[in-house]
Amino acid sequence: MIRTVNLSKDYGDLTAVANLNLTINQGDIFGFIGPNGAGKTTTMRILVTLLEPTHGTAFIDGLDVRKDGKKVRRLVGYMPDFMGVYDDLKVFEYLEFFAAAFGIERGKRKAIVDGVLELTDLQSKQNATVDSLSRGMQQRLGLARVLIHDPKVLILDEPASGLDPRARIEIRELLRELKRMGKTIMISSHILSELEEICDHVGIIEHGRLVFSGTLDEIRPRLGIQSKVRVKVASNQDKAVELLSALPEIRDVRAINDYISVTFHEGKKIDGLIARTLVKADLDVVFLQPEQLKLDDAFLQLTKGIVH
Amino acid sequence: MTGAVTSLWRLLNPARLTGPLFDKELRVSSRRKRNYVLRFVYVALLTAFVAVVWHSMVVWQVSTTFQKSRMALAGKTITSTIVVFQFAATQLIAIIMLSNSISDEIYHQTLGLLMTTPISSFQIVMGKLSSKLLQLVLLLAISLPLLGIIRIFGGVPWTYVLSSLCITLTAVIFAGALSLFFSISNRRAYVVIIKTIATVGLIFGLLPMIIGLLRTVPMTFIGLRVPRPFSYPVFWHALSHLSPFYAMSFNTALLMSPSLPAGVARFYWPVHCAVMLGLSGLLIAVCTGTVRRVALRQATGQSEHIPKRRRRTTGNWPGRTARSEDIGGVVRRVRGWPVFWKDVRAPLIQGFEGRNSIIGLVVTIGALLLTYGAWAREGYLDEDFTHVSYAVMFILIAMVFHIVFSASSIASEKESRAWPLLLATSMDDWQILAGKAAAVFLRCSVVWLLLAGHVVVFVFVGYIHPIAIVHLLMLVAWLVVFLTSAGLYFSAGLRRTTSSVVATFALALALWVVAPMVLGLMATISRSEQMARIGVCANPVVQAAVIMHGAGGRYNAHAALAKLRYDWIDESLDAGSTTAVLAVTMLIYASLGLLFAWRAKRRFRRNIF
Repeated sequence: MIRTVNLSKDYGDLTAVANLNLTINQGDIFGFIGPNGAGKTTTMRILVTLLEPTHGTAFIDGLDVRKDGKKVRRLVGYMPDFMGVYDDLKVFEYLEFFAAAFGIERGKRKAIVDGVLELTDLQSKQNATVDSLSRGMQQRLGLARVLIHDPKVLILDEPASGLDPRARIEIRELLRELKRMGKTIMISSHILSELEEICDHVGIIEHGRLVFSGTLDEIRPRLGIQSKVRVKVASNQDKAVELLSALPEIRDVRAINDYISVTFHEGKKIDGLIARTLVKADLDVVFLQPEQLKLDDAFLQLTKGIVH
Repeated sequence: MTGAVTSLWRLLNPARLTGPLFDKELRVSSRRKRNYVLRFVYVALLTAFVAVVWHSMVVWQVSTTFQKSRMALAGKTITSTIVVFQFAATQLIAIIMLSNSISDEIYHQTLGLLMTTPISSFQIVMGKLSSKLLQLVLLLAISLPLLGIIRIFGGVPWTYVLSSLCITLTAVIFAGALSLFFSISNRRAYVVIIKTIATVGLIFGLLPMIIGLLRTVPMTFIGLRVPRPFSYPVFWHALSHLSPFYAMSFNTALLMSPSLPAGVARFYWPVHCAVMLGLSGLLIAVCTGTVRRVALRQATGQSEHIPKRRRRTTGNWPGRTARSEDIGGVVRRVRGWPVFWKDVRAPLIQGFEGRNSIIGLVVTIGALLLTYGAWAREGYLDEDFTHVSYAVMFILIAMVFHIVFSASSIASEKESRAWPLLLATSMDDWQILAGKAAAVFLRCSVVWLLLAGHVVVFVFVGYIHPIAIVHLLMLVAWLVVFLTSAGLYFSAGLRRTTSSVVATFALALALWVVAPMVLGLMATISRSEQMARIGVCANPVVQAAVIMHGAGGRYNAHAALAKLRYDWIDESLDAGSTTAVLAVTMLIYASLGLLFAWRAKRRFRRNIF
């Protein structure tokens, strides 16, 4: 649905995006992450035709963003990392204005605006002025605005920034609902744990270059990370460490506080073996938990955090 | 002893009045190239002007004795023109420069931040005001050597230069303080500019005029006989000390003709300056209190800067809490072009559901009718100069409206960060441009309608020849196209409303003041006045004056079309030739306007963020 081909953007001497090649499939939620100044926002602005790339191009549903700007804008809903506010417009008027701007017929607008207000749970605020809304409500309104013309693709730049935990959860639920509706979503965020929960794929960008693109599971071998399991036994932890260390499938066993961290040899993950070994030795297993690779960890390992 | 001196110095140190904000503003402005360009252009302009007048009045005269006798007159003319130009220009620049002084701090939420420092609200106000005024003082100071040189010509006393500078300076301080005051409660610079100009015009122009008219119009007009509250000299005496416009004109009139007319009281410029400083001080005190209230609200997270009763009228500020949501008013449905609908949705004068706009219109029409009554009473309503005055006034006001509305049209959206959202819609760039242009025209149409009403009414009354309608339509057509497009062009290219408005004003000034001046200089050197004539005749104010002078008044209104004469510079043309001149001007400026529109559209997607 979204494809960039050697996409580059220079601002004078500064290269914001360098030969970016990215593919996002239809119906995916794609998390776009990177340090500040990495080129995420620039890429998104190129995709929504607000910036011209210096080299290369990008395609949305097969349409070239350089040549078919108007058609691309019909397909895409863009939510920037700031809230553009029109003075004195009420929520309903704001949404209806954008509906009209997207060429929706006057007779259909009310129903559409009511629909997105309901979806974003903003019905009670439709008569409030836009600039009087709280940050969370404004973010919802931003989402309502991008949905107004029923775009196939949503490009959301930091939609959860500055929101309280409740509002973030609500936005997350809304995004899941949008995924169920078949939308392709490209989302950037600094709150990586959230992306982890909703994204099918992630792209990590640094210095304008894509350093990784794929699923979280695909990051593990890329980083050379072996499978790990955490084990806790009710008593006799030393004996458990001794038993597990003797197993040939296991590379490393360490006692950390009141639990044991077990690292398998690459490509091997035999959870049942651990349980069987410990139970056979009459040790009570309190929990046995595979260690998840956190997106934060992957991000830290893949990027150096140097800002342009 | 040393401690006492230090304490006294601390107390009297001017830096204590302005605080670190002054330094910060100066530092920022010193990085802006445009300030240096402005100073250079200003000096160049003044020098060119002096050269033009010098050549036209002195150099051409062959006799040395005659040259010497003309030098004093040239000196007076140059000085008074420079002084009057500075008086008008610096006030306008002060209003524009301070139009977003506080609103920017509020919008970027730095005002509350300043309240967490030891800086007082007085220092904030004074820091903002004095830093901008310093730029203008520099401009005024630049002209001093020039005025000093002109004194060699003779005829210009130092007291005139000094008094005029003081009158200008105090007027600038007042205008700047007023602009700053309005910028506390209005986010958009153009609203501040229009409100300040309107208030200055109302206080120092319209009110004295109405009082004067009430004095001259006998109450028997409405069947009453009331004694006049004040005599004519007392009225002028008071007026010259209260209004900077009257003070300046009085001061300049004294230069040109030092003997006072019989019965006219003396004019004491220090008194006027003291009055203006007092008014400015009062305004600064009000600003200080308001800024403190707003800053404290922001610092405590309440964000809303204006008391609740006023919020509905000017509530434009970000970061309000959910508690402050305005849920009143009627939801208006979008009709027609969305951009046009949005831009014309806000009333011309902010107020609940456009109520203030209606009040403003009624007051304006009432004031107009009053002036008509006064002219009729004096027997001048059927004279051509009366209609010249009205036409010029309407054209000038409409020009200011067009410049301000068009130049702020896109830049204000950039400031509120809504511009990228609009560009991300599927609307064509031409659609956006057309919507914006149409909205600018509609918002300015109030002034055009007043002009149209004036002309049509007096055509029917028999005081204006009907051909004036055609000629004025041609003038208005190119003026609308040109100014709207030029304003949109600058608005599309620049990020700040203030820069955009200044750039558009500068273009108008360059085309209709500077260019004729330069052409005049070239003409005096080359002794061919054709180019200078063209330059002056292309000025819309000159065109309006010529049209109404040729077609206004009872005599002209009843004359046959072929007998009408239009006095262009040094040349009298008939109606047909005048139509041709206007048509050519219209063609040139309309083409330039379309060029600007095309360039504006090309600049839409640059400098977005």
